[in-house]
Amino acid sequence: MKIMVDRTKCDGNGVCMGIAPEVFDVDDELYLHVADPIPDDPELRARVRQAVTSCPILALKPVEK
Amino acid sequence: MIDLHSSRIIVAGGSLSGQSAVTELIDRGFAGEIVWITGEAGGVYSKPALSKEFMQGRVSLESILLPAIDPCGANLKIIDGSRGLSLDAQARHLQLDDGRYFDFDGLLICTGASARMPDFALNIDNVLPLRTLEHALAIQQAVRTKPRVLILGGGLIGCEMAASLRGLDLDVTVVEMQSSLLERPFGGAFGDYFEQLQRRNGVTVLTGQSLARLQTANGKVTGAELADSRLLPADLVLVGAGSIPETAWLAGSGLALENGVVCDDTLCSSVPGIFAAGDVASWLNPLYGVRMRVEHWTNASAQGRAAATNLLAALCGDAPGIKSFGDIPYFWSDQFGLKIQMVGWHPGHDRVVVDQPEGAPGPVITYFRGDRLVAAAGVNASRAVMTFRRQIEAEARRTVLEPADA
Ligand SMILES: Cc1cc2nc3c(=O)[nH]c(=O)nc-3n(C[C@H](O)[C@H](O)[C@H](O)COP(=O)(O)OP(=O)(O)OC[C@H]3O[C@@H](n4cnc5c(N)ncnc54)[C@H](O)[C@@H]3O)c2cc1C
Ligand code: SF4
Repeated sequence: MKIMVDRTKCDGNGVCMGIAPEVFDVDDELYLHVADPIPDDPELRARVRQAVTSCPILALKPVEK
Repeated sequence: MIDLHSSRIIVAGGSLSGQSAVTELIDRGFAGEIVWITGEAGGVYSKPALSKEFMQGRVSLESILLPAIDPCGANLKIIDGSRGLSLDAQARHLQLDDGRYFDFDGLLICTGASARMPDFALNIDNVLPLRTLEHALAIQQAVRTKPRVLILGGGLIGCEMAASLRGLDLDVTVVEMQSSLLERPFGGAFGDYFEQLQRRNGVTVLTGQSLARLQTANGKVTGAELADSRLLPADLVLVGAGSIPETAWLAGSGLALENGVVCDDTLCSSVPGIFAAGDVASWLNPLYGVRMRVEHWTNASAQGRAAATNLLAALCGDAPGIKSFGDIPYFWSDQFGLKIQMVGWHPGHDRVVVDQPEGAPGPVITYFRGDRLVAAAGVNASRAVMTFRRQIEAEARRTVLEPADA
């Protein structure tokens, strides 16, 4: 699984980071860093999916491989 | 235990908690029928956007819609736009407002909340609440003529509406009964910071003031009279007076209701097989040892999933699979280009520490109860706030608090 971020939308509110801090990290400039690749762990993947639906701006898209 | 293949789960509510519950049922391969009663047609949209970028007309409707659910072969029946009218919890029978009815094995109540409207604000043209897309579209329409706007309530939605409408260069006044803005969400710890922020950006702020009545001419609002008899002219009144959990349709159902659907720590209502999630659920949060009803976006998604998982475990007779749902609440607010964030639950705190990081636009505040860090908030300080979130959660898992007096 890979996560695409729409940079024109993401405003660094950190919702995704709150749910899966292992994968999402918002820095002090409010720029979002995403782990790539995402560790292949079922529990983590479920939280990453939850982060995707929880992004209030809908800036995240999962790309399944 | 029941045969899942021939069983039916109803999900009532077509916003984030409902969508999350349906997604979880599908993800977990539930083999029975899922009936999703959405209450409003047209798909799930981002409510937070309604008072922010969407209110300013900066983004399209399509861009605030959540991706539609992929049923992945599940037996999903979507009843779009109909609402639950009444429920018999013991008989497991749900009546819809379109005349149809369903029996069910499991029910997930995700009907959220609706905007509170004071009696004096009802049935007047140009007096609008903001809770749904329909409201947001009505406000977009109403601001085209550049009205003078009066906002009733200086809570999160009131302050965000003020910020968004100042961005459109409108004349905006906020009236708030409490002595400071955003008193409830931040427990007063920011003092007059938010008031200064609004003022600096050209909003007229009247705190410690309440509205006595609205003035109208030909059914349209023309202004408002304050309790001290002062008159404020206005062409548009927006109401941000809080929300009420959407439980009217559950009256007489046999479910315990009090400030929402009363749930235990697993999100189960007072009747087995019926769970609730999101703004409508009042549940016992094991991480704080108190009952709370959290009205925030990420909570709706997390609870929707947890309630669905627990319902499935209950239907399978898998008692250990029914897990306690503990959450550190989180919300954010966008105002004048600033990102304000809060994690944790501050009611009952007895001490705050205010830190003013150099060069930052606002303070970072931590809330304590005794020695325990219970909440943290900041302005444009994502990293600090999220780091505190981890610490708050770690401390919460170590010590469960006694119920707060607050
Ligand atoms: C303008 C606005 C801005 C917000 N901004 C933020 C923010 O910045 N950050 C944040 O964290 N939170 C924010 N929130 C709060 C957040 O949107 C809510 O917590 C979230 O929407 C709750 O989701 P929910 O699914 O529980 O309920 P709701 O979103 O209230 O949805 C309830 C659903 O149930 C349906 N329904 C109602 N009655 C029935 C019935 N009888 N039968 C069937 N269906 C029914 C409704 O049609 C609706 O689809 C904001 C809310 C609003 C209104
Ligand atoms: S939740 Fe969405 S907007 Fe917020 S930081 Fe993550 S991707 Fe960006």
